[in-house]
Amino acid sequence: MDVLDRSRLRAIGAASVLAVLAGSAVAQDKITVTFANWASAEGTTRPGIEQAIADFEAANPNIDIVSESISFSEIARQLVLRARSGNPPDVAQISGNDTILLAQTGALEPLDGYLSEDLKANIKPGALSTLMVGDQLIAFPWNQSPAGLWYNKNILEQAGLDPDSPPHTIEELTAALETIHEQMPDVIPLGIDTTNRAFALTSNWPWMQTFGAIPVGEGATGGDSEEMKAYLTWLRDLANKGLIDPGRKIGEFRPLAAQDLVAFHWDQVLLQGVIQATNGMSDEDFYDAWGVTTLPVGAEGAPHSFEGGHQLIMFGNSPNKEAAWSFIEYLSTNPTAIDVYTVGVNSSLPSIVSTGDAQVDAKLDTPIFNAFSEEIIPTLSTQPYGADYAAAATAIMAGVQEAVTGDRPIDEIAASIQQQLQ
Amino acid sequence: MVIPTLLVMAVVVGYPIVYTLLLSVQDYNLLDFSPAENIGLENYARLFNDPIFWTSLYNTFIYSFGSVAISATLGLILALLCENLHGQHFRLTRSLLLMPWAVPFVVVAFLFRYMYMQNGGVINALLLGMGVISEPVPWLNSATLAMPAVMAANIWAMTPFFFLLLSAALSAIPNEVIEAARVDRARTWSMVAHIKLPFLRNPLLISSLLMLISTFNDFAKIWAMTQGGPGYSTSTLVIYVYRLAFETFEFGYASALGVIWLLLLLVFAVAYLRALRMG
Repeated sequence: MDVLDRSRLRAIGAASVLAVLAGSAVAQDKITVTFANWASAEGTTRPGIEQAIADFEAANPNIDIVSESISFSEIARQLVLRARSGNPPDVAQISGNDTILLAQTGALEPLDGYLSEDLKANIKPGALSTLMVGDQLIAFPWNQSPAGLWYNKNILEQAGLDPDSPPHTIEELTAALETIHEQMPDVIPLGIDTTNRAFALTSNWPWMQTFGAIPVGEGATGGDSEEMKAYLTWLRDLANKGLIDPGRKIGEFRPLAAQDLVAFHWDQVLLQGVIQATNGMSDEDFYDAWGVTTLPVGAEGAPHSFEGGHQLIMFGNSPNKEAAWSFIEYLSTNPTAIDVYTVGVNSSLPSIVSTGDAQVDAKLDTPIFNAFSEEIIPTLSTQPYGADYAAAATAIMAGVQEAVTGDRPIDEIAASIQQQLQ
Repeated sequence: MVIPTLLVMAVVVGYPIVYTLLLSVQDYNLLDFSPAENIGLENYARLFNDPIFWTSLYNTFIYSFGSVAISATLGLILALLCENLHGQHFRLTRSLLLMPWAVPFVVVAFLFRYMYMQNGGVINALLLGMGVISEPVPWLNSATLAMPAVMAANIWAMTPFFFLLLSAALSAIPNEVIEAARVDRARTWSMVAHIKLPFLRNPLLISSLLMLISTFNDFAKIWAMTQGGPGYSTSTLVIYVYRLAFETFEFGYASALGVIWLLLLLVFAVAYLRALRMG
């Protein structure tokens, strides 16, 4: 090896060391925010969330977002275990009972102090109140996704029903379901989640309220009340007549709905996005084919719904709270993020009144979004979320499953639910 | 030489067992970050008054003993039927029969879940096509049918194990014994009942106990197919422990149930060891 080669090698070595040092200095300056979410675990929403993260990183070059994909049904379990073992992510996507469950661990960072007055003023009425535990805001509303009674106008028309006049009472709905089953036996007349999990109770809760049943929580009528028995009896009747398809998760009805195999479907606003992603339907075709309305009323006389929107939480031991908050705020309020994710792929409503971008606000002016904003959101009711709710969910939904799949007397099922609730 | 083994066993087996025992006498909920409280035998008292525990225990026995008994019988019949096959026929038949054993349990569960589906499931489609049923049967969504349906999937996956083991045991029967029976003009049934079955008794017992322990712990198939439902009709001890530990996060109570479960498994393990010694 001659002298020239040696000096070249030295120069290359020195340059490499410098490059590594410079690289590590840049890496040290960068803040990493870990983000546990199911948005990147689902095919429909993955492109949108990846785009939103990339946009955020481009706008904040000193912050790296590490997205951790966890399925919807697993995320609460994993977050509790990770919080317990001291290594939670910085930010996580969460929803429904799981939000309050995690708040009860005391591991969440209260977010009140991070909200500016302008932001508070721009948040939709009531969007924060359900996320208060004591006097602390424990999560930020990423989006709103209430549930409505979706109906396939084409199926209604083919069954001889008026597609522009969906049922408004439980009796009208039952009659419509029977007609559809008679006319179109291959179609599932009503899609309703009867699985045994906390989300299924959240989804069934408004139906129970329609019958006057409040199994647990404030003003509870109990698991063995006449109202609860009336609900269970009605569900059993639907199952016996083949008007519902027991055992399917809400998400398992969606591909069937996209194939015109579900007439009525109790689902969230995001159904539109799933159907269009599945069958490639245009917006116009979708509005021609699908409508959404409030839950039919029972003897109690008022429609009900549940808020299935997603929230963002920050963990108390996050070392990068400011960066974590700026990411939370970006995802929830930035017009581009709302465009590419919230409206674009998640088909849900932002939790803020105005995005500040006329084009994005215009995208929210659709027949479906308007029906949710104007008719359905006013029917939202709160549920007694928390650790007791999770335990009650197993007991209540096991009872619902027994009612729709077995022949044990309803009185016995209701008594068994009540016994477990006690 | 024994000490390293004992140390590894103490860490890998001993520590989890002792910790589970300790947790089982505590009011320990993962959602509650305050220190766990010692409550003596309260969790056990609660367990014995818990109807879901008794239902799950009953289901565990039905699922385990039922699946093993039927799989062992089918495995035995198949082994006897294939005993005289040789060469390419035997290799082909054996490969086909062993295939279910190679399928991962979760895949088995999803396979059967889709086959059982009320709308669009191949089983209902076949039965409807053949005119056996007039409307789709809710296999996994009926409180009565769900357990047999889940057991059928388990039996499908487990039978090849018995077939393989009993085929090997059959081929190990000394030729002299078989020849002597033939000389005595023993008929087929007589040969099976008086010559082959006695030779197969020990392998059958040992494999049944092994499979009993395995089925007792079976979580993946049941969870993927029914999650223990509808109601609690397919909820076994392992499913109930999972729900308690990871849905309501009651680790103390779940540990008490785990201890009972462990004791039951110990009974099977002792029986297995004794059978091995006898064999």
